[in-house]
Parts: sequence; C-alpha cells; structure tokens
Amino acid sequence: MEKTKILVVDDNPTIRKGLSVRLRANDYEVLFAEDAISATAALVTERPDLVILDLGLPGGDGFVVMERLQRNDRLASTPVIVLTGRELAGNRDRALQAGATAFFQKPVDDSTLLFAIRKALDVSCGELRFDD
Amino acid sequence: MTKPAQPSSNLSAYLSHELRNALACIHQFGNILVDGLAGELTGEQREYVGIMLENASRIRSVLDSALDGVAGPPEKCATKIEPVTKLET
Repeated sequence: MEKTKILVVDDNPTIRKGLSVRLRANDYEVLFAEDAISATAALVTERPDLVILDLGLPGGDGFVVMERLQRNDRLASTPVIVLTGRELAGNRDRALQAGATAFFQKPVDDSTLLFAIRKALDVSCGELRFDD
Repeated sequence: MTKPAQPSSNLSAYLSHELRNALACIHQFGNILVDGLAGELTGEQREYVGIMLENASRIRSVLDSALDGVAGPPEKCATKIEPVTKLET
C-alpha cells in the first residue's frame, strides 16, 4: 500500500528535519521544498496528498504557492496546512481565505498537527476549516 | 511610493519569525527525544528534556501575549493615565 505523501515547504532546514522525523515516525512519506519556486514544481511533479506550508519563503511567499495551487484544477483540492512563524494578524484570515485548511503558528504541538493532517486527509475539497 | 511599515510592526514581525522558528526547533527536537524517536532516554535524561520543554512552553506563552500586545489594536496596549496627587512632605 502506498504511503500518504506530504510536501513540507519551509526554508529552515532544521524545521524540515524535525517535521520529517515526526511525520516519518507516523508512516508518512515526506518530500521537501525550500522556496516557492521548488514548491510549485514539486506540487506538479510529485502530486502530494497534503502540503505543510510556511509563509515566509524565498522566491515568493506561501500565499504565492497557494495562489498557484488554486489556479491548477488538478491540484486545487490538495489540502494545505499553514505552519508559520508569522503573526496571526493579517496572516491567518488571509491564509484561510486563500484556501488553507488550517493555520498554525510555530511551534505547534505534534499531536495537534497530526490530528489536523488526519482530518484534512479525511475531508475532501478543503471543506474543513479550523485553527488553533 | 510605498509608505514604509511602522517600526513597531517591523519589530513585531521580525521577533515573531525569528523567535517562533527557534522555539519550534527546540520544541520539535525536545519532543522527538522524549518520544524516543532517536532512541530511549534514561529517566534522568527524560527529566532534563522535560525541564527544557516546560521552559520552552513558558517562553511560547510570553511570546504569544507579548506579540499579541504589540500587534494588536491600540486599545489593547493603551495605558490609562490618571492624575496624581502630590503628597505633602
């Protein structure tokens, strides 16, 4: 049986490493992108089941990635969980409006993130909306 | 020409990004150790990592309230100024 594929988009290598250890321990396949351009490319070529997306990225921020995702009919239903160091004000509502399934500020509890992943994968077409 | 952002807003955004990322790394790897994903810890090691995580959580709470205060609407951080009666000495 194929593992669920999660694309982690974050420019911080330590964050990527920490998330990969946690996600692999929970039996997910983990892919990485460190900027908006490689994230967009990975979305098209790898077709992940879910994206964990930072907002502050080189080459265009996380909003740019979500915009490109939404414009592609084949990818638009891919759930996106925003995990960012940015402030709540001006970012949470904007991210949810841009199509994010959930918005979390760093650091997020592992159990909360894993629950959000499971819920997001259970619900199709990004109908689920919640935050911390 | 774009109006430059207010210094307090820039500082808040900078602190949020830098501190939250650093804190996330402590939080992530501390929990990886506690959960035994990098091998089993002794009781003493587990206790020390627990102390580290507890204090990371404390910093997180301070950060949440401090940055909410900085980034929030003016009334949230407004100081009430009242007249002071000078005491006779």
